[in-house]
Amino acid sequence: MGSRGSSMNNVPNAEELMQETGFSAAHLLRLHERFEFLDRDNRGHLSPEDFEAVREVAMNPIGGRIICSFFPPGQETLDFPSFVRILAHFRPTEKHRARDGAQSEPANSRTGKLKFAFQLYDLDRDGKISRAELLQVLRAMMGIQVTEEQLQSIAERAIQEADLDKDDAISFDEFRKSLEKVNIEHKMSIRFLE
Amino acid sequence: MPRRGGAASEEVEIEIDSDVSDNEDGATQKGTNRRQAAGRGGAKGRGRSKKTDSDEEDEEEDEAPRGRRGANNRRPAKKRGGGGKKDEDESEDEAPKKKRGGAANKKRGGKAQDSDGEDSDAGKGKKGKKGGGKKGGKEEQDGKGKKGDAKGKDKGKDKGKDKDDDKDKKKKKKKDDSSSDSNSNSEEEDSMSEGEMARLMEEVEEKKKLIANMRNKPWRMNRRLMLLKEAQEFVDKFEGALGKGKGRKWYAYKVMMTKKWIKFKRDFENFRTACIPWESKIKEVESHFGSSVASYFIFLRWMYGMNLVLFGLTFGLVVIPEVLMGLPYGSIPRKTVPRAEQATAQDYSVLMDFNGYCKYSVLFYGYYNNQRTVGLLKFRLPLSYLLVGIGTFGYSLMLVIRTMAKNADVGGGDGDEGEFTFAWKMFTSWDYLIGNAETADNKYASITTSFKESIVDEQENQKDENIHLRRFLRVLANFLITCSLGGSGYLIYFVVKRSQEFAARDDLSWYEKNELELIMSLLGLVCPPLFETIAELEDYHPRIALKWQLGRIFALFLGNLYTFLFALFDEVNSKLEEEDSIKNASIWAMKEYYANYTRLINDTESTPPPMNPGDVIRGPCWETAVGIEFVKLTVSDIQVTYLTILIGDFARAVIVRFLNYCWCWDLEAGFPSYGEFDISGNVLGLVFNQGMIWMGAFYAPGLVGINVLRLLSSMYYQCWAVMATNVPHERVFKASKSNNFYMGLLLLILFLSLLPVVYTIMTLPPSFDCGPFSGKSKMFDVIMETIALDLPSFIGTIFSYAANPGLIIPAVLLMVLAIYYLNSTSEAYQNANNELKKKMQMARDEEKNRRNNTNSTNQVMKDLEDLLPNRSLAPPAPPGQKYPEQQLKTPEPDAKATKTKAGSAAKGVNLQKDVSLASPNPNARGPVSRPPGPRGPGPGPGPGAGPGRGRGRGPPPR
Repeated sequence: MGSRGSSMNNVPNAEELMQETGFSAAHLLRLHERFEFLDRDNRGHLSPEDFEAVREVAMNPIGGRIICSFFPPGQETLDFPSFVRILAHFRPTEKHRARDGAQSEPANSRTGKLKFAFQLYDLDRDGKISRAELLQVLRAMMGIQVTEEQLQSIAERAIQEADLDKDDAISFDEFRKSLEKVNIEHKMSIRFLE
Repeated sequence: MPRRGGAASEEVEIEIDSDVSDNEDGATQKGTNRRQAAGRGGAKGRGRSKKTDSDEEDEEEDEAPRGRRGANNRRPAKKRGGGGKKDEDESEDEAPKKKRGGAANKKRGGKAQDSDGEDSDAGKGKKGKKGGGKKGGKEEQDGKGKKGDAKGKDKGKDKGKDKDDDKDKKKKKKKDDSSSDSNSNSEEEDSMSEGEMARLMEEVEEKKKLIANMRNKPWRMNRRLMLLKEAQEFVDKFEGALGKGKGRKWYAYKVMMTKKWIKFKRDFENFRTACIPWESKIKEVESHFGSSVASYFIFLRWMYGMNLVLFGLTFGLVVIPEVLMGLPYGSIPRKTVPRAEQATAQDYSVLMDFNGYCKYSVLFYGYYNNQRTVGLLKFRLPLSYLLVGIGTFGYSLMLVIRTMAKNADVGGGDGDEGEFTFAWKMFTSWDYLIGNAETADNKYASITTSFKESIVDEQENQKDENIHLRRFLRVLANFLITCSLGGSGYLIYFVVKRSQEFAARDDLSWYEKNELELIMSLLGLVCPPLFETIAELEDYHPRIALKWQLGRIFALFLGNLYTFLFALFDEVNSKLEEEDSIKNASIWAMKEYYANYTRLINDTESTPPPMNPGDVIRGPCWETAVGIEFVKLTVSDIQVTYLTILIGDFARAVIVRFLNYCWCWDLEAGFPSYGEFDISGNVLGLVFNQGMIWMGAFYAPGLVGINVLRLLSSMYYQCWAVMATNVPHERVFKASKSNNFYMGLLLLILFLSLLPVVYTIMTLPPSFDCGPFSGKSKMFDVIMETIALDLPSFIGTIFSYAANPGLIIPAVLLMVLAIYYLNSTSEAYQNANNELKKKMQMARDEEKNRRNNTNSTNQVMKDLEDLLPNRSLAPPAPPGQKYPEQQLKTPEPDAKATKTKAGSAAKGVNLQKDVSLASPNPNARGPVSRPPGPRGPGPGPGPGAGPGRGRGRGPPPR
């Protein structure tokens, strides 16, 4: 207990973060360790290059987008609180979630998770996934193995499927609708070790 | 934090205002409610629940943890405040619904007080247990003291509020050791996470209260009993978690063990997946070549599994007992190579033909002795031989049919596909845990392949051209193929007949000798490509085209099978004749010998003639001949298959790849190109090979072992070949989830191969000097013998009754009836299933259309439309009940606004409460409180919604 208490002191703003994100102290400590591990130069903040060193991200076709989603526009560094706030999206959804509208959605709710996923595809952050954005993702996923024409028809088709208001782009609501049956709560949850 | 606190107090003010301005009329009731909310300091929502509604139950349960968390300082005060308000809303909602009279109000008030008392008691107890929280306890007591006072509501509310604030402060001072609360908090973290703890505590408290209140609930007795039992179990189970000392430790231990158990289960699952043979190989092939090619390999794996069991049966029960306990080689004539053959018995060419030592080994039927029992264990080898032969078929039939039934089950379940196919694939196909370059490559390939498969399916769906032309072409194609099948059938028949004529003659040219084989292989070479070309006319989806192709080639190969069996039966018949004469001759010789022996030696003991077993004259042993025929066929099939792959695929790939540097045209893109994996050919090869095994296994027990080796090696070999030398199909298509078509073919072959074997077992006499059944007139006599000699006599009697036609015919009739009944039932289910699917699809389409046609972008309006279908004069009540749910979506400020409004609503007469049911959502209020006829332009207040509209029309809109 003593050691935990002392190491807890290393984590800046631990109390506030815990309240805001719902992580427990042990989680936070673990995340801090990870943060420091990623931050190889001990600068106290992370840069995009630090993320590129993670193999899982580097392999990912939309790895770049994932990294971008950690950084707010126009910002090149990421400090620990923001890091934790973003990872809060991946906290498993509580079963007995408070079901009142009186509070803002927590980051780990279904909507929160979906919003995060949505941002990965919404390159220009205009709240809509346009055809061009889809094409870009498709190209990253399939590359040269499929003809450009086919890629375009896939993108076209995907938009057709999800687009309910016929504006030729997928808005967040449509995105949510189309992934209604996917178990996002489960898929976008990480079991943070304690 | 301060900001939130501020917001919270603001709300509280609003609260108080509205309360103060309440009329005396509603005061009593409101008071109790209010106080309840306050007294609930420990976040209890139970006390007030008089509703039998199970919805209500759910909500409470959802609320409770939130409240508890609030008490645990996990949530900002603001949220807590909001929650409290909502509770109030609900209790208000309830009130009018349940009881309207003043008496009812009083009663309710009284009850609420009761439960209040319980609340705070429980809360206090809990505090005590938690070891600390003097403050909390005191507050509770305060709240309790106020309970009797009907006017104390405001104070109560304040108290609750205060307490929350206090707790917030405490939380901030958590590291301060003087606060006992923080101590207990940090203690909790030891064994389990805080949230978990809090939730548990909450639930236990809730259940306890439920137990206490059970008597007051207006429930049916059996429901009460059920809930009581449940609650008690729950409390028993988890109370330990909240207590101190032993119970706590025990609980911690249990939690730890549960976690370990879960982890173990997960590891075990992983282990099991890793144990599925060739799973990764097949997945790799699938990711590059699509599910259709993978389906072949899955089929191959299934086949391997089945053959492994057959192998186990045959070797465990027949071959190994014979080797271990039977007479050794050279002891009796049937186990010895005849002297004439001994010189060449070890030659390679002879062994390759399975003659010589091979022929007189455990691999073949003739080697087995007809001793009734072998060894010390008195193992009944002949009986076991027959039963294994029959059991092989029985097991295979059962397995094939079971697999088919299981697959059919799987096939019925995927009704949801086809919705958002591409969107799903695009958004969810990547596996974010991939960190290995090779895996990532495979994943890329599989995503691409699955997209291609979907594209093909999609193209197929959108194809709607001239249906008459298509029909005509399909009929034409089928006609052509039927013609060519009939033609080749006749050709085979003709050639077989001719070869029978030739068999009588000696002066044959080379062509005449090999005519049959030549014609057969020519047909096999020409017909499949011909069928494929004709099938182009039909323009089916490739998946269906594959099935047609398989079926047609299957029909062609049946001709092959027919000629083979025909030749075989000819051979068997001639052997039988030959054997008959030898048998008579040897019996006569024996008689002569014994007669001479007794006459010369004057000894009646029958001593066998002193002959070397190699010199004994023996019959041709047609069973072994048949066995050799099948083994040869299987081995040559293996050779041909492997060579075809080596030459047709590998050599071609090498040539194309390397000669391409110095060739006049592009070999890779142009004519020879790389081979595609021939699914239909390979599947049929596998199926027919299995047919050979089934037919031959009875006469050559070693055949099963050879087949296992073949399947094992071809798994590796073909996996390698397909990855190294083939290119994916031009149109990669998705295989149907079940392999049932392959299974159907297999079943057909199994049935066909069952016929000749059963025929020979039941009708042909076994050879007199070789095999386990020698000396009997029929092979199945061994069963009769066992029944007569080894089993008690009454079983024999039972068998004789059971074999009575009077019993068998009714049994068969019964079975036919059962089949008929089950068949018609399953058809009925199928119909119902299709109906339901159609309905679901229609509902989905309708909803989509509706959404597309409305130009309103207002989410609330849309939801409303969903609730009020047809815009009819539906009563406002049912939608009203849904509002609590809708409220979830509305952001915080709305709820606040509602609150104020709800408060002011209470100024009116009781009847107006009717409306407050629907009122929590201000946006929704407008449309619902008015008659839901033609709607106004927006959710705003309608002009006619004035107070004069009558009762139940809703309060004046703000």
